[in-house]
Amino acid sequence: MKNEKGMVRGWHILLLAGISGLLFLFYQGLWGNPSYIPPVLVGTPAPRFEAPDLYKGVPVTLDQFKGKVVVLNFWASWCQECKLEHESLLALNRQYGQNPGFVMLGVNYQDKESLAKEYLNTFGNNFQHIIDLNGRISIDYGVYGVPETFVIDQSGVIRHKEIGPIIGETYDRFTHRILEPLLINQPVSP
Amino acid sequence: MNMRHHLWISGILTFLLFSPAPGLVRSVPGASPMTEDDLQAQTKAVSQTLRCAVCQSESVWESGAELAVQMREIIRERLIKGETPDEIRAYFVSRYGDFILLKPRTFGLNWLLWAGPFVMLLIGMILLALNIRKWTVLTAASPSPAESPEISEEERRRIEQEIHSFKN
Repeated sequence: MKNEKGMVRGWHILLLAGISGLLFLFYQGLWGNPSYIPPVLVGTPAPRFEAPDLYKGVPVTLDQFKGKVVVLNFWASWCQECKLEHESLLALNRQYGQNPGFVMLGVNYQDKESLAKEYLNTFGNNFQHIIDLNGRISIDYGVYGVPETFVIDQSGVIRHKEIGPIIGETYDRFTHRILEPLLINQPVSP
Repeated sequence: MNMRHHLWISGILTFLLFSPAPGLVRSVPGASPMTEDDLQAQTKAVSQTLRCAVCQSESVWESGAELAVQMREIIRERLIKGETPDEIRAYFVSRYGDFILLKPRTFGLNWLLWAGPFVMLLIGMILLALNIRKWTVLTAASPSPAESPEISEEERRRIEQEIHSFKN
């Protein structure tokens, strides 16, 4: 009888622990950002690509930037958040563009060539852009919205993915904690 | 027949030899040929298991979004190349993570999603069985009215008092 009582109590404790565990998971899920999708490509080799330059039409490959820190920004003329960060991107290239170990590349995503050019003419441009003709580059990089920005290190490994516009505090974090350590070959702390 | 005719005929024969039969779209060495209908059915089957990353709870097959259209094209191309549905899904998972799968895989913490309800049901059933057993033992152990001992004179007096006070 005593053993049976102990057994029931054991089950009650187990049940309580299970329910507490589930409640904890629900709590975690409820308070997390539902639209946040953990990036899976960070730490893996950046997918190679070849795409035409937006203006010249000549093929541009990722391989030609090997040995440099590449900031790969996916954008579109229809994207409002891209307009928000556009000035920051220009500032980023003004700040680091003179560094021979740095390159910025825009990837025009699900857009029309004429609209993309019109956008750049309106808002200004100081770096190279390629056209993702059939969405292959975006899908290879697991892009599900714009703007999204990837930082690729000198050896071609993706070191950071920024979802959303790089403005304000994000710009400071992006430059000080990711770009600058990479440019001097130090570990990044996203 | 001159040399030019020979070249034409050999050209046509080469074309016929290496071109796929009408309606067959797969030309991977060693793979069985796939008809357009098979290809369409397989593209549908794979894209129904993948989430349209820019939509609200829609599969790649159901969605008309540009991303979904491009993903369907990739699925189709990879099927033609001879990749299996699992290999194609693995490609998308390697790009987007498990999020892209409409049906979560059973590994890591995901197994909780699958096994959790069954485990809870099992625990509930075990607890119920233990409690039923306990109640049965208690009922069997309790004495029947016939077997109950005689009440004392004092108890009888108290009961009568209580009944009396209740009536008044």
